[in-house]
Amino acid sequence: MPEFEAIIGLETHIQLNTDSKIFCACSTDSWRVPPNTHICPICTGLPGVLPSLNEQVVEKALILATAMNADEISQASFFARKNYFYPDLPKGYQISQYDEPLAVNGSFELPLPEGNSRHITIIKLHIEEDAGKTVYKDAKRLIDFNRCGVPLVEMVTGPDFRSADEVAKFLIRLRQLLRWLEISDADMERGQLRCDANVSIRNVGEDRLNTKTEIKNVNSITNVRDAVQSEIERQMREVKAGGEIKAWTLDWDDQRGVLSKMRSKETEADYRYFREPDLLPIQTSPSAVAATVSQLPELPLARRSRFSEVYGIPEYDAEILTEERSLSDFFEATVAAHGGNPKRVSNWVMNDVLRLIREQDTLAGELGLRPGELAEIIGMVEAGTISSGVGKELLEQVRSSDRTPAQIVEEDGLAQVSDASELSETAAHILEANPDQVAAYKGGKTGLIGWFVGQMMQETGGQADPKAAREILESLLEG
Amino acid sequence: MSAEICELPAHEIVARLRTGDLTAEVVLEATLARIEAVEGGGGALNGDPNGANGIHAYITLAEERARAQARAVDRALEAGDNPGLLAGVPVAVKDIFCVSGIASTAGSKILANFVSPYTATPVVRLEAAGALTIGKANLDEFTYGSSNESSAFLPTPRNPWSAGHVPGGSSGGSAAAVAAGEAALSLGTDTSGSIRQPAAFCGIVGMKPTYGRVSRYGMIAFASSLDCPGPMARNVKDAGLMLLAMAGADAFDATAAKVPVEDYLDQIEGGVRGMRIGLSPDFSRLRYPDADTGELREQVLQPEIEKALLESAERLAEQGAEIVEGVDLPAVQYGIPAYFVISRVEAASNLHRYDGVKYGYRSEGEAADLFELYRKSRGQGFGSQPKLRILMGMYVSGEQYEKRYYERALRVRTLIRRDFERAFERVDAMLAPTTPTTAFEIGGIYGDSVAMQYADLLTVPANHAGIPAISIPTGLDDSGLPIGMQLMGPDFTERRLLRMGRALEQLQESRPPLVQERVGA
Ligand SMILES: [Zn+2]
Repeated sequence: MPEFEAIIGLETHIQLNTDSKIFCACSTDSWRVPPNTHICPICTGLPGVLPSLNEQVVEKALILATAMNADEISQASFFARKNYFYPDLPKGYQISQYDEPLAVNGSFELPLPEGNSRHITIIKLHIEEDAGKTVYKDAKRLIDFNRCGVPLVEMVTGPDFRSADEVAKFLIRLRQLLRWLEISDADMERGQLRCDANVSIRNVGEDRLNTKTEIKNVNSITNVRDAVQSEIERQMREVKAGGEIKAWTLDWDDQRGVLSKMRSKETEADYRYFREPDLLPIQTSPSAVAATVSQLPELPLARRSRFSEVYGIPEYDAEILTEERSLSDFFEATVAAHGGNPKRVSNWVMNDVLRLIREQDTLAGELGLRPGELAEIIGMVEAGTISSGVGKELLEQVRSSDRTPAQIVEEDGLAQVSDASELSETAAHILEANPDQVAAYKGGKTGLIGWFVGQMMQETGGQADPKAAREILESLLEG
Repeated sequence: MSAEICELPAHEIVARLRTGDLTAEVVLEATLARIEAVEGGGGALNGDPNGANGIHAYITLAEERARAQARAVDRALEAGDNPGLLAGVPVAVKDIFCVSGIASTAGSKILANFVSPYTATPVVRLEAAGALTIGKANLDEFTYGSSNESSAFLPTPRNPWSAGHVPGGSSGGSAAAVAAGEAALSLGTDTSGSIRQPAAFCGIVGMKPTYGRVSRYGMIAFASSLDCPGPMARNVKDAGLMLLAMAGADAFDATAAKVPVEDYLDQIEGGVRGMRIGLSPDFSRLRYPDADTGELREQVLQPEIEKALLESAERLAEQGAEIVEGVDLPAVQYGIPAYFVISRVEAASNLHRYDGVKYGYRSEGEAADLFELYRKSRGQGFGSQPKLRILMGMYVSGEQYEKRYYERALRVRTLIRRDFERAFERVDAMLAPTTPTTAFEIGGIYGDSVAMQYADLLTVPANHAGIPAISIPTGLDDSGLPIGMQLMGPDFTERRLLRMGRALEQLQESRPPLVQERVGA
């Protein structure tokens, strides 16, 4: 029995996070907005209207193209009309790009476990407008035009994925990148990142591409993985049973977790593409591309490897710290301000700062705790000025006040007590009050020293320097 | 003939308003009185095709809007404010432009009930210049025609020079209204001659500006890469004044040119001394491929038009212009077939939005499904001309034919453009008849869409090339029908073309016969 491998290509639609739509001044906000409130004559296709291009859309699409290493960004790319009838497509054609897209020939190195990676080709990347939304209610079709004219980038990959898991990993990386570049909010549930998957199988070792099916309407990464996986399995069963794969378009029902065949009427069409005469070509000069490239921030995967190399932190840390751009900037600024061991900074950021970020539901850059302040707190803990417990509490206090860590420690009297006479007095009290434990210690249970230190901490409200306290206790107990 | 107020040139109306000799309200009332006298009822859905005896230039009159505008102009004048370039000038707007609050029908049943919530840029600019929007003029359905006979709104407008003849098209109502004194100016559109041909047929001036010189925003599209809004007037100076009020870049139209607008009037009396004006054999031996066999056929110009062409050249030469004969434009003979393809592909797509879902006509009764709703609404709402264009447009843009037809047509267009570029190395403008014949009879060729299309043989080259062209009245033929000559120049040479046109124009001394019948000679 030959072994099968899956061949998967993706067609993603990315909503660019511009304030206004691609061809008119309407807001792009369509999530939980009353139907048909963000519309105008232009995006509802009234007779006589014309589109005028929002330049921000081109700028953001260009950022994505350069981040995807597209080596051919057209100096002049063209809009085209994709003609078809549907009630939520008010002009009866979608303004898209066809034979001369914004960019072709990009690539993305998808990291896989154990240092492996998968080379994903980006076949093309083009700009287009979104259509509206049809809602079925009581045997009626209701149409909401709010989404009409929302700017999208369509990005098509080569048939380079070999498993549903790789597809999911890619979508996670893509989402990360889009947010990193601040060009899309990339929320799949809100339709800001959409994905159709082309799936086929073949015998391992073969080169040819077999008939593929297309999966549409999947609205989360988990669902994409499940849908692709179930389609791979279906095709394998079909072929093993001697059947034939037909070029179906499949619709994913995320309630029931099953794929169903879409009616052919909705999938077969000759779109009669032709150049959009109402818009000028998009001019992208080499200097504009060069400027975009030079302004491109360090990308997440590059930053991830630099973090582990330069700071010597584990890959696991580097991964978490570069999940989101603001967090990685925060980490790096703290390391610079701290000047000491980056792993210690990493521990603080990954455990304590991340918890605060989640609690506050914000970004590291907007937390209110500055990298310099975190570095100062870590420094005070390392110097023994404050206990690590106090240090952790300080994070929240600094975040929510205008005072510096040093001021809070000073004014609230949070510094550790390491003064020998003060600690000796407290230690003597504790020994006096606990004769049984003293006897046990002296009888050989020296492990009780930890319990005594604990009592000291309790007694001093956490301000005792545990190291100094231990030394004093030991000398008293053994003396 | 003693000119009535409604027959005054637009520039004179503006001048007399400024001296206090006239008010906008007086001009408006005089024009409404003329409409009352000659119109004989406007076009209506299910109207009588033969009509009463009248011009029937309009579909909708906008007296109230015009009155409010007139009062605003008069108030501005009283207050000493600048009332604008076109203060108090009554303008008929071809019913292909959206005007807020007024039915914008495109001459089609499918848009008969459509009232636009916004106003087209050229109309906004005219009104801002003080013009009075007096009504919406009849036209061929969606501008598809050269006789105005395809409008769903009947009766067909009449040529004021002969009730039995068409006013031309598609801006037929516009040309008839201006010729009959029912408006001083009209805003038309020209995709293959739709301003110039009816202007020639009705004895007025019509200008197709450079593509992009006037914004298309709010003009219901026919062939988007060819459509040009432009002025129609009774004299060249008025056409220049109107263009000046409308031309220029527009944030709502990406294809509107950012080239600065020139003063079209300051040199208009400057004459043609030293200007080189070309004549081409390709504009008098009209060759075109036979629709059935593809063989090249040749049509000669109507003799009076041939004669008028030579007289026009002489007239310009007498004023000091250099006439250059034998300028070849070999590609223009393919202008019509290429136009057939390009315009149908764009038109079919532009007509997609009329689906009975959002606005316009929706078929009555239950539809079994969405596609039946589309079929019925479009089937009942569109007349035969849009249907023909949809059929042909769908056919030639289909995946399997696209390269054979559409791409070749675009190449022809490039060749025509190159012909003109070469010609303009030798001459400042080309002179040619606007039409091969004067106005044809009502019913004469309607229904023969190929013959109808060949009426545009001389006008369509300028649309393909994107260059400006102006049709100038130069006299009447033996049966008393107007003849028009056109001047074509390089991109954005409207100022020079207007100046040449001013030197060429032969203003009619008498009223058109249909007007005479109603108001006297
Ligand atoms: Zn809008």
